[in-house]
Amino acid sequence: MIELRELTKRFGEFTAVDGLSFEIGTGEFFGLLGPNGAGKTTTISMLSTVLLPSSGEIYIDGERLTRAASGQKSRLAVITQEYSMRQDMTVDEVMEYQGRLYYMPKKEIKRKSEELLEFAGLQNIRRRTVRHLSGGMKRKLMVCRALLTDPEILLLDEPTAGMDALSRRQMWNLLRQIRGGSRTILLTTHYIEEAEALCDRVAMINRGRLQKLDRPEALIKELGEYTVDETGETGLECTHFADRDEAIRYLEKTASDSALRQTTLEDVFVEVAGRRL
Amino acid sequence: MGIITVLWEKWVEFRRDFYKITVAAMIAPLMYLIVFGLGIRTTSHGQPYIQFLVPGLVAMVTMTGSFGAIAQSMSVQRLYEKALDQVMISPTPLWQFILGQIIGGSLRGIYAACVILVITVPVRHGLVFNGLSFLIMLLNGAVFATLALVLSFMAKTYSDAPRFNTYIIMPMSFLCNTFFSTEEMPDGFRQFIEALPLSQASGMIRSIANGEAAGITGYIVLLAWLAVLGAVSVFFIYRKKNL
Repeated sequence: MIELRELTKRFGEFTAVDGLSFEIGTGEFFGLLGPNGAGKTTTISMLSTVLLPSSGEIYIDGERLTRAASGQKSRLAVITQEYSMRQDMTVDEVMEYQGRLYYMPKKEIKRKSEELLEFAGLQNIRRRTVRHLSGGMKRKLMVCRALLTDPEILLLDEPTAGMDALSRRQMWNLLRQIRGGSRTILLTTHYIEEAEALCDRVAMINRGRLQKLDRPEALIKELGEYTVDETGETGLECTHFADRDEAIRYLEKTASDSALRQTTLEDVFVEVAGRRL
Repeated sequence: MGIITVLWEKWVEFRRDFYKITVAAMIAPLMYLIVFGLGIRTTSHGQPYIQFLVPGLVAMVTMTGSFGAIAQSMSVQRLYEKALDQVMISPTPLWQFILGQIIGGSLRGIYAACVILVITVPVRHGLVFNGLSFLIMLLNGAVFATLALVLSFMAKTYSDAPRFNTYIIMPMSFLCNTFFSTEEMPDGFRQFIEALPLSQASGMIRSIANGEAAGITGYIVLLAWLAVLGAVSVFFIYRKKNL
């Protein structure tokens, strides 16, 4: 179990993460949602120990996570938002470097690399340097690199950022395949449909503070499962209803270009983020 | 084990950029040799100036080779590629990462010195370079590799690395007992320059080259620099809030 206790990160006067506290259960696929600048990447950076918190702590199975906690870190792998790899290394060298950093035997590195690169469709470009890979290939390589060590905890910081729709779907399929068992996954994203499709629970943060935390369907239910979209003078306006009949009655009273639909997690996100933006 | 991983990474880098590294190690010292050693023919301490110059250049290239190997690469990895994140999250103890970088950087300095020793064979006569000379080169390289690490951890932008070169490495190259003796310097300034690691390394390598004893002071100064900079780099990698 991962536990964040009053986690705070300040950069001078600016508070990026403000007293964030929540728990992620073992084997859970957990989403951390928020608009740009909400503090998602800062939180992941603290979980990966690249940034140290200004105050607060992170615990993994009751043990405090620090930069010196090698035992804890051997259970973690991260896929960062940026392509955090040596650009002048080949695909094979990136994999070998990762394996060596995690004390894997050389034969095991070779065997697992071959398996993962084939799984990701990168087996034919193993001698190519990272700088000569496309964005999608780099993302896949980062996934392969993270999975090489078979981590119990996988931190994914916007893994589909900048991907086209097809590559994004491929990545989702890949993430679905690697979830399960006791592997805990923390995903940050601002693609709400991504969280809705993949996550068991989501936390919504804004300006570094926790706004909502629950299962996607529970959050939708809390807002109202039915939404009426109306095009008003100020643009699209959404009204949410718990009851379908009530939504239909409201729809009948509104203008002809209104529409009834199911509420999505994106509506919850807009409610949470939008009212504070 | 972590040290071996870093040395493997440095080896991959060296193997790939072998020609670039070798040429880069040769150009500046070769120019100094041609201009100061062969072009402007003079004497120093009663012998041809080139006999004075070669040990100074050898010390200088261990500094530039080691510093350059770490400063540029670490700044790029930390600020541009973000590849340092991969190391930070891994279970490899960070002190082993630091030690691996220091040894790797120091070996690159030794390589640069070997290149200079090879190309000066036709012009240096009777100068001795033995095991002790190489130990001093290794120590000097270790000091500057560690300095490069500290500065890389302090760098705020990618362009800081060349600035460190301009403000720290270039002045040391010229002032620290490489091209001329510190004996002629005014009091106060002389003591300051002599406390710098390159002054000690140049002096010691030159003494050995001339068949004299190197003296213990130089070792103490180099080890003191290494201890202080090593402690700072370990502190930064474990405690710096925003690495």
